[in-house]
Amino acid sequence: MAHAPMFARTMGLPARLALYCLASLALMVVDSRYAAMATVKNTAAELVNPIQDILARPFGYLGKAGDFFIVHGQVLGENRRLILASQVFASRLQGYEALKLENARLRALLDLRPPSGVETRAAEIVRILPDPFNRRVIVDKGATDGVTAGRPVVDAAGLVGQVTQVYSTSSQVSLLTAKEQAAPVQNQRNGLRLIVSGTGSNDQLEVRYLDMHADLKPGDILVTSGIDGVYPLGIPVARVVRVEPPRQTPFARVICQPIGAIGQHRHVLILNRPEAAK
Amino acid sequence: MNTEPLVPQGLLLLTPASTRLIAGTLALAYLAAQLPWPDGVTWLLPDFTLAVLLYWSIHAPHRAGLGLAMALGLLADITQGSLIGHHALTYTLSAFAALSLRRRLENFQVGGCALHLAPIFFGQQLLFLLLGLAFHLPGVDWRFLAAGVATALFWVPVARLLDRLTGWTSEMHIEPADSRPSARPVGSAGHGWRGHR
Repeated sequence: MAHAPMFARTMGLPARLALYCLASLALMVVDSRYAAMATVKNTAAELVNPIQDILARPFGYLGKAGDFFIVHGQVLGENRRLILASQVFASRLQGYEALKLENARLRALLDLRPPSGVETRAAEIVRILPDPFNRRVIVDKGATDGVTAGRPVVDAAGLVGQVTQVYSTSSQVSLLTAKEQAAPVQNQRNGLRLIVSGTGSNDQLEVRYLDMHADLKPGDILVTSGIDGVYPLGIPVARVVRVEPPRQTPFARVICQPIGAIGQHRHVLILNRPEAAK
Repeated sequence: MNTEPLVPQGLLLLTPASTRLIAGTLALAYLAAQLPWPDGVTWLLPDFTLAVLLYWSIHAPHRAGLGLAMALGLLADITQGSLIGHHALTYTLSAFAALSLRRRLENFQVGGCALHLAPIFFGQQLLFLLLGLAFHLPGVDWRFLAAGVATALFWVPVARLLDRLTGWTSEMHIEPADSRPSARPVGSAGHGWRGHR
């Protein structure tokens, strides 16, 4: 019987839905369990990044146009402040040079390996990823600028985060305040070693599972201890706000405030390890 | 087996949406999501792509079906760095929900449609966060649920604008011939058909 078909012979809607859902779930499992998708993701990011750059450009120009109409007095005031600050830094550096020499001499005496130097690279935050699970930003320096994954990111005051993914001309920085980020630190006052973790909020860090007798007071400054091989020694990380005594658990919990102005700046520094030091 | 007729019926026949319009509006919505939005508002940002996608799922189901939803979801996954398939799954389910509501929504104005779609948008966001929990992603920010409500609110101006562009009006509702014999004939005077643009 050669009838023209009255109805389209396609798969029904629920059947197609089931198919697509299964495919999506399979992709999610593959992506979360195996690294197989990394190349796909990287290639796609390389394709999409230029579009985002072009879209962000007008806003950058607008910001610059705003800077053009800045008041003369404001510039003068800022200039005066910066000159003062640079003088303060210069005077501090004089002492620093002497200390560095002395330190090198002492290290040589003790036969210790010289600490690897650090070179900094300024980068601008170009985009914030709208992700409810993670706190990540995109900066405008990438593999072509010598950035590698795992490098620490700081601002003028303290630690900000870590480079987690590198594209050709940009890279992804996970902020210190992300829940899965942690940094090994040392209490500046007494050298107590701790691990500081993010809480998911911009102005709060915490020390989990702290010994209830640990000597930690509000106001203590925590700096990186440098024993993990990722963060160099002595970057300020957090200031202790309060120590919560243990409740129902054998551990105390310490709430800290990050010293780096996380989520407030446009420019950050990426600390690169120079090739010679490796 | 699918029981959709081969030839589009009723309103779909009167105001067919051009492929160019669908592609153009979807591209615009996608680009809007790529703008450098400030950090403080990302949790309140409506999902532009999903809002436009669901509009077309309702008004041009032959063009914007589950396949397109999945493709757009994968695109969103790649751009936002989420797990591949994460957006795709939630977009596909939302499109399915919109497609099943489609016949009913033909009887409603834009506001009524938005009320019907609000649970879908909110559910999409909730499912997105729950899936993240299921896949052990670190730390869920529940504030992002607000984005679901924001998308429903954003849908109203989008639908108004797209209605204007396609020439679709709620007055073009076609009464079933047998249920109400006294109903006014289709296209009666006083109700300006706008039909084809």
